[in-house]
Formats: sequence, structure tokens, C-alpha cells
Amino acid sequence: MRGIYDGILEGKVDEVAADVQKALNSEIAADDILNQALIPAMDLVGERFGEGEIFIPQVLWSAKAMQAGMVLLKPRFTSTSGAARGKVVIGTAKGDIHDIGKNLVAIMLEGAGLQVIDLGVDVSPERFVDVAVEQGAEVIAISALLTTTMQSMGEVVSLIRKRDLPSLKVIIGGAPVDMTFCRKIGADAYGMDAMDGMKKVRELLKG
Amino acid sequence: METGSHNHCTPRFRLLDESQILRIHHSALRILEEVGVKINHRGGLELLAAHGGRVKEGGIVRIPSFLVEEAIQSAPSNLIIYNRKKEPAMELGGRRIYFGTGTDLPKTIDLETREIRDTTADDVILSTRISDAMPHIDFIGSYGLPKDIPPGLHYIRCFQLEAENSIKPIFFTAGSEEDLRIIHDMAAVIAGSGEELFDHPFLIHYAEPTSPLTHSEEAVSKLIYCSEKGIPVNYTPALLAGSTGPVTLAGALSVAVAEALSGLVIHQLTRKGAPVITGVAATSMDMLHATASYTAAEFRLTHSAYADLFHHYGLPIWGTAGCSDAQVPDLQAGAEYAFTLLNAALDGANLIHDCGYMGQGFIAAPEMIIFANELIAMVKRYMKGFEIDEDHLAMDVIKAVGPGGHFLGERHTLDFFMKEHWRPGFLNREALPKWVKKGKKTVNDKIIEKALDLSKTHEPEGLPKGVKAELSEIWETANKKTRR
Repeated sequence: MRGIYDGILEGKVDEVAADVQKALNSEIAADDILNQALIPAMDLVGERFGEGEIFIPQVLWSAKAMQAGMVLLKPRFTSTSGAARGKVVIGTAKGDIHDIGKNLVAIMLEGAGLQVIDLGVDVSPERFVDVAVEQGAEVIAISALLTTTMQSMGEVVSLIRKRDLPSLKVIIGGAPVDMTFCRKIGADAYGMDAMDGMKKVRELLKG
Repeated sequence: METGSHNHCTPRFRLLDESQILRIHHSALRILEEVGVKINHRGGLELLAAHGGRVKEGGIVRIPSFLVEEAIQSAPSNLIIYNRKKEPAMELGGRRIYFGTGTDLPKTIDLETREIRDTTADDVILSTRISDAMPHIDFIGSYGLPKDIPPGLHYIRCFQLEAENSIKPIFFTAGSEEDLRIIHDMAAVIAGSGEELFDHPFLIHYAEPTSPLTHSEEAVSKLIYCSEKGIPVNYTPALLAGSTGPVTLAGALSVAVAEALSGLVIHQLTRKGAPVITGVAATSMDMLHATASYTAAEFRLTHSAYADLFHHYGLPIWGTAGCSDAQVPDLQAGAEYAFTLLNAALDGANLIHDCGYMGQGFIAAPEMIIFANELIAMVKRYMKGFEIDEDHLAMDVIKAVGPGGHFLGERHTLDFFMKEHWRPGFLNREALPKWVKKGKKTVNDKIIEKALDLSKTHEPEGLPKGVKAELSEIWETANKKTRR
């Protein structure tokens, strides 16, 4: 388990995959591997990133290593553990193709053990809500870089209200977005950066 | 007589030698031939295919080198850009340097309250007027993305406001081809007719491909429209090394150049000889904050490199300088403005934009246009060099004054002191006691004072009444159409 943890911190993809397989072969439960090695490792990665001790490329490689482990764990999860973790639909706003930020947040969320459905770029409000409902996601996360595209974030909120889905939460982020805009459109949360976004999503899922 | 010597020394700078220029050039050509670019515009794709481009799956087209070489040849190497009154204002080519502001800043530092707030239409008017008053600002960008104008209409409105508040050439962005049409209509009204505008363009459209190696439908449609209508277009990528391009500078440069050149090919295939300005922005993405730097040393390196390359091609060159990653006009801003302006001038870039920019391209601070103007003047003095000839070696004067004398009262000093030495308008030259007596004003205080003064007193040359009215009509129509 320590090997898996360290392997993720160091972004060692093949080693983590091998170690996770070894752990599974030794009858350690998938849930335990997730909760005792994968998630704590990514938590530390997130912390170090937040402190400015490591950088995006290193975060990405840690995430790759974590994914390599996750892929082996997924078929072994029990049904209850799957549901408990929380589902997030993420994408960039309609008309926006800038996805660096969105990709980072998706990685942080997966690192936190959440199930992330990444719809990619230029996602219409209808698609956000349709997929969230279909997949039973609790949170929709929308990112935008352009001031012209951030308007569609408000449309997602309106659509949710229209379809009467009070338990579906919306978090927004991106350079032109701020807390004032978040309040104005009635979104549930605003993430200042990838770390902050990840923390806020976890809060939304708890409450 | 003096032979074999030029009697005027000027700063010279180059980054790449001949072989390095060719290396980057060949790398860009290889990318176009072996990797290709994605063209999301049917007409653009078909145009390339019809002329020898090899279309692969997914809208990717591989462009043979001869198309690139032909486009470089046919594109004009010198562009005359006029002002609103059909007077030649800029000659974009060679190593002639011109400076101007940029576009689309969503936030503005309020001149009076110093609050960082949303940009408004009034801010666009103010910055246009300040730019109009500045002798070293040669062209005008919107310098703002006004929040109080409905999205989708602001490009049109900004163009109108800029045209109303200055005669200087306008460097403008647009959302869609529809915006472009309306702006072209406005410009044609100002010029007198579409043909007059074609012959005396006073505007330059700014459009971008999407890194890496992708040309969006909108970008290509605007590129083609500009080529057809003779609207000078500045089609240049903005690439982030490590994110939308390779992290290593040579690779980032090659990708960006490939993007610029593929745009050039489409543009020239549409209409040979149509006016175009090229260049790239390949900068660092901060690997902690995921932000793009406007001033990184790495940006200056790729800037110098592509300038050398495009001088070699003989094409009008876009540039970026006089900008800062700092959120407010502080020491960082001062340092970055100076560093970038000097570099861009040494690079011999022609259309140097984003002067006055703050906050990594998100914040406007009107007084910084004045600060940029001041530093441009200083840089220009530096670039002017000095003369080394009989008059300037001043042997006669030196003999006349002799050891222990002084030069202040000499005729020579009187004759030459103003031409030879630049005096700042805002940078401090005062000794301490006087500076204290006059209120301890920093350069920040002085430029804000000037900006406030200009906001109240500067009267730009307005549009003729009939023209103004016609523009208002075009604006009203566009306004109503969108609100429906």
C-alpha cells in the first residue's frame, strides 16, 4: 500500500498498476486500496499543488498513475461503494473550447475518488442537464474562458429550475467568472482554481 | 571625405542566424506536410484541396511546401495603413516600428477610485481619446470588453466608438463574420464607399487560429472575408508552451509558425496579394497557476525568433509589448513595460500591440497608455542611436573649450541639445528638494493626473455629422436585430 501511495506521488504509472494488481491478488479489498492509498495520495498531491510545491505536469502524471490503479479497481468495487463517491458532469460552456482548466478540475475530482463524466468542450445547457439526469450526477461543473460564453452558465441554472431538479447543483469557474457572477445567475458554487473547485464540489456533495 | 563608414550608429539585434532561421522554417514546413492542420471550415478545406493540399480524415489537411512558399511570395511585404481621413498613417514592413493598444479587456482600474471593476463603453471612449492624444500610439484597439453592451454587439459598438473618437487606424476584433460585415459597412460609410475603403484601409482585423494546429470555422470565415474585401487582417496564433504547444521553445515556435503560415496560405489562395500581417505569440503557461504570461523572457525569445524569421520572409510583422502580468501599475509593471518595449523595438516588429495592457491581458488602466507612450519615446530615442561625424565629434568645440572649461554656453550646445537628448514627460529628472516641494509626485501620480486631464479636455477630431448619423443607423439596426 505504501508502494502504491508513493508511486502515485511520484507519478510512476507502471509501478502503481503493478502494485495495485499485487494488492488485489493478495485479497486486499478494492475499497481499501482506494481509500487508504489512492485517495490519500491524491489528497497530498492536491495539497502540495495548492502550496506551490509541485506543478501541473507533475499533478497530471500523479493522476495518470492513479488512473492506472483505478482501472484495475473499478471492476472490483461493490455497488454501495460506487454510489457513495459522488458523480460530477463537467464540461466547458457552450461556444467555449478552452479546456485546460476544465481538464485540471476533472483530474482533481477523479483524484478525490469522484466519478467524473467529462463532456468535453462547447457543451450546450441541454446536454449538461440531460446527461446529469441520465447518469444520476449530483453536480454539474462548467468552465469558461470567454466572457461571451459564460452567459450560457446562467441558462444551465434556469434549465435546472425549469425541470424542477432542486438536488442538482451547479459549480462554475474560469477566468472571467467570479463570485458576483455566480450569485447573479444563482449557481451554487464558484471555484477560483482547480484546487478550490475540487474542494467546493466535495462540499456540495456532502451538503 | 570619410569613406567606408556609416556615420550613424544604431542598435542592432538579432537572435537567429541564417541556418537557425532555415531550421525553424523547415520545421514548420514539416509540420504542415507531415502533421497537417485541422480546418473546420468547408470552404477553406476545399480551397486547400483544390490547390494541392492533401485532405485526410477528420478535416485535417497536409499542406505541401510550395503552397507556403507561394503565399509568402504573393503576400505584400509592405502595407500602407491609412487613418480615417485617408492619410497614410503606418507603413508596415521592413524594420519600421509602430505601437498601439490591444482589445477586449474585461476589467478596468477606475482612474479615480482605483477600483478594479468591469469595463464599460465609457472606458472604451476614454482610452480611445487618450490614445488619440498620445504621439507614440499609432493605432487604436478597443482596450476594453464593455460589460454594459450586450454580448455579441460589443465588437460593433466598440468599432463605432473608436471611429468617433479618433482618426487613427483601428485594430479590431469581431465575433462572427456577421460582425465583420457590419463593421465593414461602417468603415465603408466612413471612407465614402467600399472601393474607397479598399484603396485606403484604416482598419486591421485581428483573428486567430486555435493552437495546436486548428483553424476554427469562425476564424477561417473571417480570414476569407477579409481577404476578399481587402481588409488588412492580422492572423496570428497565441500558443502556450507546454499546454497548447510543445513546452520547448523551438517546438512551440515551429507549431505557431506552422499555424500562421497555414492561415497565410488560405488567405492568399483566396485572393493573391491581399493585405495581411503575420506573426505569433508563443509564451509560457505558468505551470502552477495555469495562466499565460504576457512578459516572460521565453515570450521575448520566441518573439525575437519569429521576427527574424518573418523579416527573412519579407512579411509585415505583428508584435506584442508594453504590457504587464501585474494586476496594478507597480514596479513589476514598470519593469515589464520597459523590457518588452525595448525587445520589440530591437526585433523590428511592425505592428506592436497590447501597449497599456495589465493583468495578463485582463485589466485596462487608462493611465498606462500614457506610461507606455513615455517608454516608447525613450525606446525610440535609444533606437535612433547617434551620429559620428565632424559635427558630432565636435573637435572644434572641444578645442575651443579646452581643459577645465565648460560647454553650457557654447553655440554647439545650443544648436544640438534638443535634437541629441530626449527629455521625459513623466519620468522623474528633478532633484530631491524641488521634488519634495512640488508635492512628492510619483510617476503614477503624474500619469493619472494627465489621464484625468485628457478625459476632460481632449477633443478628438469627430466624424462628419452625416457619417456619424449613418453609423448610428447601422448600430441601431444591429442592436434591434439582436434584441429581438
